[in-house]
Amino acid sequence: MSVEKKEVRIAVTDGMLIPSGKDKNVITAWSISLIFAICSIIYLCVKNPDPYLDILKFLPDGILVTFQVTISAILLTIPIGLATGMGRLSENRIINLVASTYVEIIRGIPLLVQLFFIYYAIGEFVQLPDLTAAIIAMSVCYGAYMGEVFRAGIDAVDSGQAEAARSLGFNKTETMFMVILPQAWRTILPPVGNEFIALLKDSSLVSILAVSELLRRGREYASVTFNYFECYLMVALIYLVITLLLSKAVSIMENKLNYYDD
Amino acid sequence: MTTNPIIQVENVYKFFGQLTALNDVSLNISSGEKVVILGPSGSGKSTLLRSINRLEKIDKGHIIVDGQNITAPECNINTVRQELGMVFQSFNLFPHKTVLGNLVMAPMRLKKMPKEEAEAIALELLKKVGISDKAHVYPAKLSGGQQQRVAIARALAMNPKIMLFDEPTSALDPEMIGEVLDVMTSLAKEGMTMVCVTHEMGFAREVADRLVFMDHGEIIEEGTPEEFFTNPKHPRLKQFLEQIL
Ligand SMILES: Nc1ncnc2c1ncn2[C@@H]1O[C@H](COP(=O)(O)OP(=O)(O)OP(=O)(O)O)[C@@H](O)[C@H]1O
Ligand SMILES: [Mg+2]
Repeated sequence: MSVEKKEVRIAVTDGMLIPSGKDKNVITAWSISLIFAICSIIYLCVKNPDPYLDILKFLPDGILVTFQVTISAILLTIPIGLATGMGRLSENRIINLVASTYVEIIRGIPLLVQLFFIYYAIGEFVQLPDLTAAIIAMSVCYGAYMGEVFRAGIDAVDSGQAEAARSLGFNKTETMFMVILPQAWRTILPPVGNEFIALLKDSSLVSILAVSELLRRGREYASVTFNYFECYLMVALIYLVITLLLSKAVSIMENKLNYYDD
Repeated sequence: MTTNPIIQVENVYKFFGQLTALNDVSLNISSGEKVVILGPSGSGKSTLLRSINRLEKIDKGHIIVDGQNITAPECNINTVRQELGMVFQSFNLFPHKTVLGNLVMAPMRLKKMPKEEAEAIALELLKKVGISDKAHVYPAKLSGGQQQRVAIARALAMNPKIMLFDEPTSALDPEMIGEVLDVMTSLAKEGMTMVCVTHEMGFAREVADRLVFMDHGEIIEEGTPEEFFTNPKHPRLKQFLEQIL
């Protein structure tokens, strides 16, 4: 008998369809979408450089900010998620209750409302740059979802692993960090990638908080030139290209993680 | 056999809700003694074994291991566990570590042993359990019997005084049971204190100094293999032996 492997796929937020690494097909939904998006951008820019090429040149600053928000928020979200996930699994009633309440509250309020609320709540106490405040707001929201990812990932590790570690003499913390988490990563990382993509898409919401990310840059351009349709078309295509590339990156990373399987 | 006991189980009770898993269990085990625990499924064998290293917290009574009362709140169970090797039915090797990694992890972290020394000891142990050629592979590559031998070596790497085995061969294909029992037998010959839950009667007969029969959370008969197999007293033990032999 070999130790049974649990195939767990955790999806807490709707990120992206992660392409399967085992799929050797060239024609997939992923490749069709990517080719469609890239060809459309090229076609539009070549056929109608005015306004499409202009728009395309105007947007990179926004893409940069989008990435800045997304990456910073993800980095902040991981410790929040880890703490929340472990809190949710804690035997300590109070820790457990605090973590669960946080998750419950965040899940019950629309993201946009939370963003407004946290953004202005922060403003009540400290004067932070808009970008920083937006990143914190995103992190607080996504931390709860990430907590669920971590909780599920930790939970999916066979309980015999913790027992083996404890019986060798490792304490709870050592067991968590040396035995459980290194294994949980395998189930956690793909959904973290998925959350990353979801977060990147949702970062468009911070455009309402005076942060000049991709969507807002598009809107800024359109409000001057009145090319609303063209602007939003380009913005949409660029988001699509980015998320498609990211979902591929996630799937490559996912395959790398399977190093210790037969 | 009445030297200072290294394990003292005194009037222990364990409840799972309504269920009494251990019902006033007392058992003393001397240093170097090999005890095999027998009993039907659900009789509390695992619970007793797991209570000895506090994987289960008992509800009443005392358990003293190597002079330390592990049921006392001030007891540092982590240091006591270093003296208690445990082998599980399902091996529980760490899949993200190589065989060698599995063996050196605890000594390096818990005994602050230098890597070279830990690896030298690990390789020695792997030789002893007959799989030195697998030091650098991941557990998933090994057969069940090999995994269980690595698990034994991993427990031995901490140089414990006592080894606990909970049905170490029950999850194995029949042709692999022998190789694991051989390792356990040679360990017994070296004088290790061993407490084994097993249904391998050949092993029990050959290795055990004492057999303990449990039923419904109670120890209802104890004795040498000789006494057990030739002259069982309790009717439930008779019935159990008839079924199993
Ligand atoms: N964590 C638990 N929660 C509730 N009941 C439990 C738990 N662990 C064990 N039990 C119950 O306690 C009783 C004793 O269980 P135990 O595992 O010690 O039996 P066992 O003698 O080892 O049996 P087996 O030969 O099947 O392994 C059983 O009735 C079992 O269902
Ligand atoms: Mg059992």
